[in-house]
Amino acid sequence: MLDLIPLCALGATTPQEFRQGALTLTEMPETGLVSLTLQRGAARPALDLPEPGFWAAGAGHAAFWTGPGQWFIELPGRAQEDPIPFLAPQAPGCSLTEQTDGWVLFELQSSQGAEAIEAFLEHAVNLDLCKMGPGRATRSVIEHMGVYLLRRSDDRLAIWGMRSAAESLWHALTTLARRQSARG
Amino acid sequence: MLIPHPLLGLRDAQEFTYLGDASLIDRPEGSDEAALADYVYLRDNPAGLHRELWFHEQGDRSWLVVTRNTLTHEIVSAELARDVALARKEGVA
Repeated sequence: MLDLIPLCALGATTPQEFRQGALTLTEMPETGLVSLTLQRGAARPALDLPEPGFWAAGAGHAAFWTGPGQWFIELPGRAQEDPIPFLAPQAPGCSLTEQTDGWVLFELQSSQGAEAIEAFLEHAVNLDLCKMGPGRATRSVIEHMGVYLLRRSDDRLAIWGMRSAAESLWHALTTLARRQSARG
Repeated sequence: MLIPHPLLGLRDAQEFTYLGDASLIDRPEGSDEAALADYVYLRDNPAGLHRELWFHEQGDRSWLVVTRNTLTHEIVSAELARDVALARKEGVA
């Protein structure tokens, strides 16, 4: 048997971290991701599934809305296991598909509160900042790459992007942070 | 240009892709070849209000029926295409 070495999405054996000014960007390889889709006519499961444009934290997971009748479920610490057995009993009658290996998660932390996160968003995406407060989650485009943006709190933003474009997205995000720092 | 998404509010048009006339929802059933040819090839080209299909590709992946004034680019309304199609089906039944 080959002895394979597990790599993070950015190609190293350990997750990357980038600091510039008030912002710290961190690769988060330990969070699993599952899509949940309601089947036609099925009852909504007991999971806390947020309304369009929002995310919500549950027990051991967080969910964000991705489309009508569809959510993504984040599972911190469960990226290296099959997440379906954990989730399936909580979501009877729903279609669950593992998504972990298709996506990469970066977390952007600000040491200067909401201001640095909002300045970052202003330059990164064409979204109404009034609708990007804590609790909000939406899909949009950064440098032509589709991303999900989750405002975890005033000073924290999560960015889910395509795993196959992880380095391009990392480059775009770190460049934005550098420019923001240069503007002062 | 901003498109008023019925679920998500105003969203930038760069998140959407454009398909065309909303009459594409009404695909003729049966084997009437002439009706199918009209459906595939014939379009109105109004100077004024136009109902058209937009896909929120970099968003929630829903299809919208957007009513847009082709003279001013003013967007009068946007509905989920699913709701439009279901309402029409109920109207027929």
